[in-house]
Amino acid sequence: MHDHQQCIELFEKLSEYLDGELDQAVCETIEAHLQECRPCQVCLNTLKQTVTICRQMQADRVPEDFSRRLRKMILQYADSL
Amino acid sequence: MTRPNSIQKKNDRDSELIEAIQGGRSDLFVELVRRYERPLYNFGMKMCGKRQDAEDLVQDTLLNVFKYLKGFRHETKFKNWLYRIATSACLKKRRKSKFAPDRELSLEEFLPPEEAKVEQDTPSWATLPLDQVLNEELGRKLSDAILELPEKYRLVLVLRDIEGFSTEESAQILNLTAANIKVRLHRARLFLKDQLKTYFQDG
Repeated sequence: MHDHQQCIELFEKLSEYLDGELDQAVCETIEAHLQECRPCQVCLNTLKQTVTICRQMQADRVPEDFSRRLRKMILQYADSL
Repeated sequence: MTRPNSIQKKNDRDSELIEAIQGGRSDLFVELVRRYERPLYNFGMKMCGKRQDAEDLVQDTLLNVFKYLKGFRHETKFKNWLYRIATSACLKKRRKSKFAPDRELSLEEFLPPEEAKVEQDTPSWATLPLDQVLNEELGRKLSDAILELPEKYRLVLVLRDIEGFSTEESAQILNLTAANIKVRLHRARLFLKDQLKTYFQDG
């Protein structure tokens, strides 16, 4: 029988689990639950992919005209010191 | 005995440059700009969503850094101190513009439904290799979803999952406890997970 309460307890810790921030005993409890709970596996997999996509996102490029203005302003500021 | 500041300096890739600037080499400001203009601009875009706001954030942050750099005592990594200034510039800007309304994200709204209703198989987007998933459209969708996050969650998500700060560093930057960072990060990730799910289902 699937214990939904256990899912909820695990659900709260999924990010810490992905980030390696839990101690071994808690990880083992989570892994045992995941073995028998398909919905929690799905939840973990989709959360993991979400985090990976965020981390792989390309950083926005600095517009060249702004970069030029910024450097000019910084140089003027440095000269004024 | 080793002083904490010496440990910080040793672990800080910017410490030599900062010490040189503090020692009078103001010409090296430009090197600092070179190192941080893109990460700061990216931080501004993810937090504000508009080019003009992101540019203002970079400019205000760097000017404040130069203004207060003499007082920086290496009690933390320079980058953490820099983002503390950037965060404060961002919050100041927040008061002047319209952003996603502040609200609490509760864990309950993201709880998986009862087993009978929940997906029994991982959707294909979560198992596909990243190079097949990542594209410009998804990047835009994700940026929009990040902007829809209430600010206090957005700040934590951007620092942790976009800028790559650790839990402890983010706590230091935002002056929050590590536990608080973890709670906000988890809710922010769950929010984005739901948004991505809709994107892939509709697509």
